[in-house]
Amino acid sequence: MEKLYKFLKYTFIILWTVFIVAPFLWAVSTSFKDFQSVNSKVTYIPWLDFEPTLEGWRVLVKSPARGGVDIVEPYFNSIFVTCTASLISIILGTLAAYALSRFTFKAGFVRNNDITFFFISQRIMPPIVLSIPFFIFLSTIGLLDSLLGLVVVYIVLLMPIAVWIMVDFFNRVPKELDETALIDGCNPYQAFYKVVLPNSIPGLIVAGMFCIIFGWIDFFFAFILTFTEVQLLPVKVVALNSSITPWWSLSASALISVAPLIIVAFVVERYLSKGNLSGALK
Amino acid sequence: MAKIELSNISHTYNPNDLNPTYALNPFSMTWENGKRYAILGPSGCGKTTMLNIVSGLLKPSKGNVLFDDNDVTNLITEERNIAQVFQFPVIYSTMTVFDNLAFPLRCRNFSEEKIKERVKSVSDTLRLSTFLNMPARKLTADQKQLISLGRGLVREDVAAVLMDEPLTVIDPDLKFRLRRNLKEINEEYKTTLVYVTHDQNEAMTFADNIIVMDQGEIVQVGLPKDLFERPKTTFVGYFIGSPAMNLFETQLHSDNSVKINDTTIKTNTNLSKLKNNNIKLGIRSEFVKVAKDESENLLEVNIQKIEDFGNFKLLTAKMGQLTIKSKINREIEISNNTIKLHFPAEKCCVYQDNKLI
Repeated sequence: MEKLYKFLKYTFIILWTVFIVAPFLWAVSTSFKDFQSVNSKVTYIPWLDFEPTLEGWRVLVKSPARGGVDIVEPYFNSIFVTCTASLISIILGTLAAYALSRFTFKAGFVRNNDITFFFISQRIMPPIVLSIPFFIFLSTIGLLDSLLGLVVVYIVLLMPIAVWIMVDFFNRVPKELDETALIDGCNPYQAFYKVVLPNSIPGLIVAGMFCIIFGWIDFFFAFILTFTEVQLLPVKVVALNSSITPWWSLSASALISVAPLIIVAFVVERYLSKGNLSGALK
Repeated sequence: MAKIELSNISHTYNPNDLNPTYALNPFSMTWENGKRYAILGPSGCGKTTMLNIVSGLLKPSKGNVLFDDNDVTNLITEERNIAQVFQFPVIYSTMTVFDNLAFPLRCRNFSEEKIKERVKSVSDTLRLSTFLNMPARKLTADQKQLISLGRGLVREDVAAVLMDEPLTVIDPDLKFRLRRNLKEINEEYKTTLVYVTHDQNEAMTFADNIIVMDQGEIVQVGLPKDLFERPKTTFVGYFIGSPAMNLFETQLHSDNSVKINDTTIKTNTNLSKLKNNNIKLGIRSEFVKVAKDESENLLEVNIQKIEDFGNFKLLTAKMGQLTIKSKINREIEISNNTIKLHFPAEKCCVYQDNKLI
């Protein structure tokens, strides 16, 4: 019985791993192929099945004038927009979440939960609903097709995630912790940043990770709010496609697009698995 | 260290209601400098509310809080220099034990030298010295609670240390030692200690003065002995002491005696001005004795059961519908089913409408 269980367990793990890793391997392999190796017959293994070439990768860094597509600038644009918007969202979102968790707000029939829901509702709406307002808003303040305009829009999109995660997190931090800090001689601001915030690092990491992921992968708003001046990575990658699909450079660009997220996941995973979340307060 | 005065304090959690329910009914009280107080009462009677008002975590709906005659009602907690320990350990989990204990001093800009000296002294008292460099979150629940306690004791000039059932998570042996430690600290540093508990033994062994509360009302303030021998209300009689005080419905008989069933019981209380309704007689089971040669205040009872508690026997007897409990010496052997119990007149308390006459 135990052997069967072990067998099934490992079979499942192996199948799942193949399911997850296979597309990556396929992309890695394809990124080193040329037109011939992709289109003539099915090939898998470099040097045996096909002759590997770096052409798919070279195209990505060559300037358009020399027949390349240059994704370096969009790449850094994406890093800038995602990081700035995530950072601001986390700062504002954490402050908002702390207030929602610790103070009671009343405005007519509106209570704390309604305000929290208002934040989350920004994500419940289909993005297309927001596209026209955002477009008009950015064109009014003259920030269409600019990095700053994208940062503003992404803050609106990412802050609900930060608020949502942090409200839940702060609600699980006993209020006695804040009270103890007050008693020990902190003023309310010191209590927040000296005591509550250091205890909330796991929550901040989770919220930060979600913000980075959702900011990084957004195509829709990057597509409709930019034209020629500024481009973000997802838009540029999609733009690679033409009448002949360049599978090799698409694969290469896909790989370097997910690379930052994989690095973030590796770094963050260490913090989350340390068990900092549990047993810290009681 | 300070004298703490609560003047006409009352508090409600829903002040905007038409008929707000009060968690604390109006009262005034003074806590003398350097004494030990215990606030005793069942859950939900307003003990924690009272502490939070003193520490400033809660602003009273009405009344004033004075520290050494200075009104601090509108001061925030930070400015009151008070220490409070909660029921469950609260530690700064990202800091070491040393940093936890040093935190209140660092917030008040003490010198590092002074901090080291105070932390050492407190950690020695609480036996935390060996853990000082460990992350606080790695300690066990009772050690964490010691840290909470230590943060309260580390400031010498604190107005008072308020403790809200602080020893709940600590095992009985350590509990006993800590209570003694707290007493020593109080005697050495003259720190005012206020200790909230629902455990009467804890209150009795710890405090100079006990404040008994019930349903937002302070029912009695006094020495442990007074609370035990002369409970001001039947609630105190019932709540303090194990088993609870014997209470009987009675009829007035003369100026100083009452009738239970047909037996006359003399008391040392002047009953001449009482109306003859809702009168109760109360007596502690410790004072009810098996009669030897007494001639009055005797009740003939049927024994229901005798339980041996090791250091005493608890006798439960019936007289008609009445149940009487008596703590007796364990050497006393009782062979008869029917015996006479003696109620010493000086130990009998008479209550009208549940209040002591």
